[in-house]
Amino acid sequence: MSPPNGPSRVALLILLLITYSLPTRINAQQQADTCALCHFALGIEHLTKPAEDYKADIHAANGFGCVVCHGGDASKMGLDAMDRAKGYIGKPTRAQVIEVCGRCHSDARFMRQYNPNLRIDQVAEYFTSVHGRRLREQKDEKVATCASCHPAHSIRPPSDSRSSVHPARVAQTCGTCHASAEYMKPYKIPTDQVEKYIKSVHWKMIASKGDLSAPTCNDCHGNHGAAPPGVSSVVHVCGQCHGVNTELFNKSRHSKIFAQMGLPGCSSCHGNHEITETSDAMLSSGEKSACATCHPPGSSGGTLAAAMLGSIDRLKTGYEKALVVLKNAEHAGMEVSQPLFELNEAKTALIKARATIHGFDQAILDKEIEPGLKISENAYARGLEAMDELQYRRKGLAVSVLIIVALIIGLIIKIRQMESRPSKADRK
Amino acid sequence: MANDQTSVAPDLRRRSFLNWFLTTSAGAFIVSVLYPLSRYLVPPKAEESTAHTVTLAIKPQEIKANSGQIVRFGSQPAILIKTPADELKAFAAACTHLACIVQYRPDISHIWCACHNGHFDLNGKNIEGPPPKPLEEYAVNVRGDQIVVSKKG
Repeated sequence: MSPPNGPSRVALLILLLITYSLPTRINAQQQADTCALCHFALGIEHLTKPAEDYKADIHAANGFGCVVCHGGDASKMGLDAMDRAKGYIGKPTRAQVIEVCGRCHSDARFMRQYNPNLRIDQVAEYFTSVHGRRLREQKDEKVATCASCHPAHSIRPPSDSRSSVHPARVAQTCGTCHASAEYMKPYKIPTDQVEKYIKSVHWKMIASKGDLSAPTCNDCHGNHGAAPPGVSSVVHVCGQCHGVNTELFNKSRHSKIFAQMGLPGCSSCHGNHEITETSDAMLSSGEKSACATCHPPGSSGGTLAAAMLGSIDRLKTGYEKALVVLKNAEHAGMEVSQPLFELNEAKTALIKARATIHGFDQAILDKEIEPGLKISENAYARGLEAMDELQYRRKGLAVSVLIIVALIIGLIIKIRQMESRPSKADRK
Repeated sequence: MANDQTSVAPDLRRRSFLNWFLTTSAGAFIVSVLYPLSRYLVPPKAEESTAHTVTLAIKPQEIKANSGQIVRFGSQPAILIKTPADELKAFAAACTHLACIVQYRPDISHIWCACHNGHFDLNGKNIEGPPPKPLEEYAVNVRGDQIVVSKKG
């Protein structure tokens, strides 16, 4: 063991002084927290900070003291408390962190006293992760352990928005290592995942709409068992939320071909970290095309894509045309709530049709498109009828007004005439 | 005298024209008032709706437990369900994901969106799939043989 350096020597000296200068009679509460007493008294930031942070830690709130993780004897003061014979381990190594946390968190009976809902397989899962495997097999001391994501001394439950594992902060937490080109250099993996992810529709949902059900890193990679999903798992991973699309894809001809080619399902067209909002243009042969990457225009795949786009466009145009005319009629005061209500079905058909694209089969698509088109056409006709009725009413109003104006003018002329006609008496 | 006759004749013609014109105009005026009035009094083909409350001509006792149906709430769809515990509930039927119309699944007693497999429980809470938030719940009151569905608050 190397001798303590300058600041550590000073710290040690202060610690000894405190140990022997503190009153021997301390109350029970202080006895339980003698570690914090010294750590605060030392006034050295890297020693006081853990004690300070720990006040807000969920473990402190449940009455756990420092010795639960660090070992030692909290009833003693100073160096006596840090007795290695009493299990004091100081700052745990990465391997020790797993052991220390797992001691309680893998014990169902113990955990039931505090949080019966909490899973107890985190450690087992951790050793299936890339992090855990590297730690166990390669003794890699750079990999993430419990305390890398759940910062020791300031652990808060994931539901707490200040927690490092709150859904809105997970990307930032993972990015601490994964977005650092320098830290990740030995692993030769990209470090742009977080940068890409924050451009995705998933992050947009979390950040701007506060939708915490939208996926972040751990929803696709796992948390304690974090690993890349792997080609064969991508469809299942996305299918956790996008079930209909996954089911259609699995039944489609693409599923088998992609598997043969070793291509991942969803991410081949939608990307992985930078999954942006989808659009009908993905079926086109244009810049945003997903199909044209493999199916050039004119090929059978390209032709199918164009046909599917045509069907979607027809329904979209039909729906929008009907909506515009009905909304115009509604704004003009016409009663069109029934066709507007029915038009909701066309919208549903359009959304469903966009999902059925993943079957890559025109017949499946048409099952959604055709009823939607009929509803749209019917609603459009009803909208036109309402607009015709509106025109009729307007014309009727104009005619009425003209008649009233003519009547007024006629009355005025009549009155003037009666006034100007000489009375019988005058004529005599 | 001859001069008098010539001046009176056009005057008479004008007067009779004016009388005719006024009578016709008065008739047209009466028609133009009565026609819209009659159109107003005769109910339109489509039922009038309000956005805050709808009265459904559905007999509560005729709805089976563990079933659901789409009803009109203004121009928007609502889903009226009778839970397996015989409780009537209503929610906005537009899925909170992309606004597809949801439906009731008696096999699992869930409100379900077929577009992207979104599931809601019998309190309208999103429990599975992509819907980001719960369905808006409406108040359901039974008035005799009618069900009154209203927006809460």
